[in-house]
Amino acid sequence: MRLTPTESTILLNALNAADLAQQKALLQMTTGKRVNLPADDPAAAAMQVQTSDQSSNCDQFLRSISSVSGELQTADSALNSCVTALQRAITLGVQGANGTLSQQDRQALADEVKGISDQILGIANLAYNGHFLFAGTADLQKPYVPDPLTGGITYQGNDQTNQIEVEQGHTVAMNLPGSQLFSAPGADLFQALSTLSDALENGQAVDTATQLVRNAFDQLTSSRVFYGSTISQLESDQTFLQSEKVQLQQNTNDNIGVDMNVAASNLVNAQNARDAALAAAAQSSSLSLLDYLGKN
Amino acid sequence: MGTLFSALSISVGSLEAQQAGLETTTNNLANMNTPGYCRQRPVLEESDPVVQGNLAFGNGVTLAGIESLRDSLLNVQINDETQQQSKSQAFVDTMNQLQPVFPTDTSGIGAAITSFFQSLNGLAANPTDSSLRQSVLSTANALASSFNQAAGQLNSMRSNLDLTVQQNVQQVNRITAEIASLNGQLAKTSSTGRDYGSFLDQRDALVQQLSGLIDVSVMQNGSSLTLTTRQGAALVVDGESFNLTTALNSSDGTQHVYTQGGDITGSISGGKLGAVLEARDQTIPSMLGQLDDLASGLVTNLNAAHKLGYDLNGLQGGNLFNPVTGPGAATNIAVAFSDPNLIAASSDANSGGNGNIANLTAVATQQISNGMTPIQAYGNVVFQVGSAISNANGELTASNNILQQLQQQQQSVSGVSLDEEASNLLLYERAYQAAARAISTVDQMLQTALSMGGST
Repeated sequence: MRLTPTESTILLNALNAADLAQQKALLQMTTGKRVNLPADDPAAAAMQVQTSDQSSNCDQFLRSISSVSGELQTADSALNSCVTALQRAITLGVQGANGTLSQQDRQALADEVKGISDQILGIANLAYNGHFLFAGTADLQKPYVPDPLTGGITYQGNDQTNQIEVEQGHTVAMNLPGSQLFSAPGADLFQALSTLSDALENGQAVDTATQLVRNAFDQLTSSRVFYGSTISQLESDQTFLQSEKVQLQQNTNDNIGVDMNVAASNLVNAQNARDAALAAAAQSSSLSLLDYLGKN
Repeated sequence: MGTLFSALSISVGSLEAQQAGLETTTNNLANMNTPGYCRQRPVLEESDPVVQGNLAFGNGVTLAGIESLRDSLLNVQINDETQQQSKSQAFVDTMNQLQPVFPTDTSGIGAAITSFFQSLNGLAANPTDSSLRQSVLSTANALASSFNQAAGQLNSMRSNLDLTVQQNVQQVNRITAEIASLNGQLAKTSSTGRDYGSFLDQRDALVQQLSGLIDVSVMQNGSSLTLTTRQGAALVVDGESFNLTTALNSSDGTQHVYTQGGDITGSISGGKLGAVLEARDQTIPSMLGQLDDLASGLVTNLNAAHKLGYDLNGLQGGNLFNPVTGPGAATNIAVAFSDPNLIAASSDANSGGNGNIANLTAVATQQISNGMTPIQAYGNVVFQVGSAISNANGELTASNNILQQLQQQQQSVSGVSLDEEASNLLLYERAYQAAARAISTVDQMLQTALSMGGST
């Protein structure tokens, strides 16, 4: 084959290739990603769309869990003080059943029971983040209000609960309506307390009234378990989501992350190739036969 | 019989021949960097001998012509590969501009879909909270505008390409007109039987330029070239060129390419024009179609879910997005209202309920088009964009390598070698010197002959 000097094209191509490789390695190292645009690796890019979605969802679920947990914990500790107050009311009822008490003593007990009722009313009307915790889903208005006609306390909320998704496809209930805690049918707390304070004032049927309070107490404590168990369930969901997030991060790294060692050595290789091409071009003799003609 | 005068005329002929050689050499050197130049060489022939009796005397050298060295098969291969190479190059260049429309992580349609469903999940925690409601509305708007933007960029790329089609067609016309005029000139000169290398060089370079723009079939027809597209639409026949024209096609709103009344838009397969038409008429519409499917699927499903619920005022929900379907869905998708209280989060008239959010978020896992969830459908678009580019990139690399190889081969036939020219220079110089010396020798001999009769 007849050879003609095509160094300049060869050199240009070599330099272009080295520049491209250098650019690519630099981009990979600075972004930490092997896949920066879909064409870098179409399958990995498409998979990353889903991984990124899942990973973001984990973040959102974790945020929801922390927000719901705060609400549940507030409700749980409120109910806790409610339980303590009710225990005191039962104690008062037991004391009041003692026939030796004077009217004055019983009146004092009755007043304390009324105080407990007011305290629990406050708890039952507790608001969190602008909505009432124990109103079911009618939570923009106070659930428990005194009825001016009967003098009793009526429930204005509903029996609904809200659910929230805290893991892909896994939902938990966020609340219990007051109608399951304070004013369950046959175990209405406010009615029982009012009966008890009336009984104490009158000195009649205190035992029966105390039993009513006990029933309401049992209803409250057994329903309240929901909060504790949901909180602990959310905790385990949280742990799961955190480890899933780590796993997804790992997937992302495997999928589109760059192996720094590889990228760094690619960069060095590209630089070397560039240097070598330039050095070779500088070295390569540009002499031709012409230079030797007509010298003498 | 050889005479001194015939020896003199042989030497003079030699001087002329060597000068012609020197001229070709210097011309080669002058054009060594001229694109498309094919090296030339003098064609030297022995002159017819002078026959006398049984003797035949050589009669010196004749300069038969100047020929340029070209390999027409290589030219054809280079033209073919140029069509492929510039098609891939133009396609990659075009699509690379579109790639950023489809990011894979924290921006774009995929991230907007994710954020929208996330904000719904956030609202579930406190469905009456106005800031959470506002956030759902903002992410819904962001989702709509991410579709609008992507579709807008694809559409504006299409109209840019439309302009490119017109420009490329003008270039094609300019080049075919030049080739036709060169055909005419070569037809006139070829009757003289001489090699007009520079015309051929120009024409070859033009054909190669044309190959960069459109698919060309070349047929040699005597001294002229007949050029057609691969599908047989005539571009140049002898001294006549056939202009391509562009006109707005009312059915799809793009510029179509016509020749002699026929629409050849769909049959142009090579060169830059082929790539531009493929991107404009196939790749981008297919991407837009997928975005439209995704947008209308999301709108239909989300609206259906939204209508199942009740808003903060206790009224049944309406459309979340303005209903859009079919072509243009991605361009026109928009949120139907701006009052966050109208988001139907509750499954009954109780404002604090969040029962309908589950219906809305369920859309994220529902199959929207071709059995894919919204995110999968978007991932599929990303995959198709990516693989279209990476395939074209692969073809481009291969084409570049082949083209480089072919060009080196062509250089080895037609390229100017400094060494070769230098040695030729030496050769012609020496031959010229020899001829000149011969002339002076003959001259001396003639002097001698002339002085033979006279006194000294």
